[in-house]
Amino acid sequence: MDDKLKIEDFEFNSRLFIGTGKYENFDIMKKAHEAAGAEVVTVAIRRVDLNDKSDKSLMSFIDTNKIKILPNTAACFTADEAIRTARLAKAAGLPNWVKLEVIGDKKTLMPDNEETLKATKVLVKEGFTVLAYTNEDIVYAKKLEEAGAAAVMPLGAPIGSGQGILNPNNIKIILEQAKVPIIVDAGVGTASDATIAMELGADGVLLNTGVALAKDPVRMAKAMKSAIESGRDAFLAGRIPKKLYASASSPIGDTIK
Amino acid sequence: MKLVINGQEKELECGNISELLSGLNLNKYAVAIELNKNIVHRQNFDNTQLKDNDKLEIVKVVGGG
Repeated sequence: MDDKLKIEDFEFNSRLFIGTGKYENFDIMKKAHEAAGAEVVTVAIRRVDLNDKSDKSLMSFIDTNKIKILPNTAACFTADEAIRTARLAKAAGLPNWVKLEVIGDKKTLMPDNEETLKATKVLVKEGFTVLAYTNEDIVYAKKLEEAGAAAVMPLGAPIGSGQGILNPNNIKIILEQAKVPIIVDAGVGTASDATIAMELGADGVLLNTGVALAKDPVRMAKAMKSAIESGRDAFLAGRIPKKLYASASSPIGDTIK
Repeated sequence: MKLVINGQEKELECGNISELLSGLNLNKYAVAIELNKNIVHRQNFDNTQLKDNDKLEIVKVVGGG
């Protein structure tokens, strides 16, 4: 059955986008990516440490024949910083798309939607495919979509918090009204969180910490893969409505007396 | 010549960006460069001359979410 995730010109069989941060080492990361069946992994762009001569490159642990690299603008606090970071990622030879993330508060890592919108407009004009990280807020989801974002990525819960999908109703509202793919990004702590996002109808899930910091990251990656597939299947299958009273599964009549 | 690289002042002798990178032991295929807030593409590393007080950002790909 053809059920591909399409984001502008990009097409994926896997709906799990996974990060490259916080792993104990790159070998475990690579195995986790394989277990996740990942076709998209996120990376960050940072200053080279001029004093560090041990250059173990992350890139040699990503199979770019199978995996498309999605650079992020994590830790940018202004539209300007995020725009410059996206341009640098492209100049480094990464694909012409970006997980646009502009943070507004250090402690919660909540997005600054105003700056995100500003950066979206500039980067879209420059030809970037923009996947915009935002709150689970219908108003900004719409604004980002109108500004040309190729996908909107509402948070499930604060980044790295593992709190799950805190506001399913708001995500559902975004999903009902969105014309672009919606990827739930951040907050996924365990497999059922990912399933909930997909059962709501999300087009995909992006996560990092939930896998990278699990006791067994490779096994958790495998769990996330099946969780997302199960959630997607359940969404497409169409769940039954919830009812207040019971409805017998076996015939009520013709029992022995 | 004085250059500001990634926020640090450095006293270095180099003509163009390619020379700067080899002096710093950096692989030019593993980095991206901003010179005075403008991107310099890899194919222009050889022909981009540096001058006193230039500000550079040299970045690479690292793990992230």
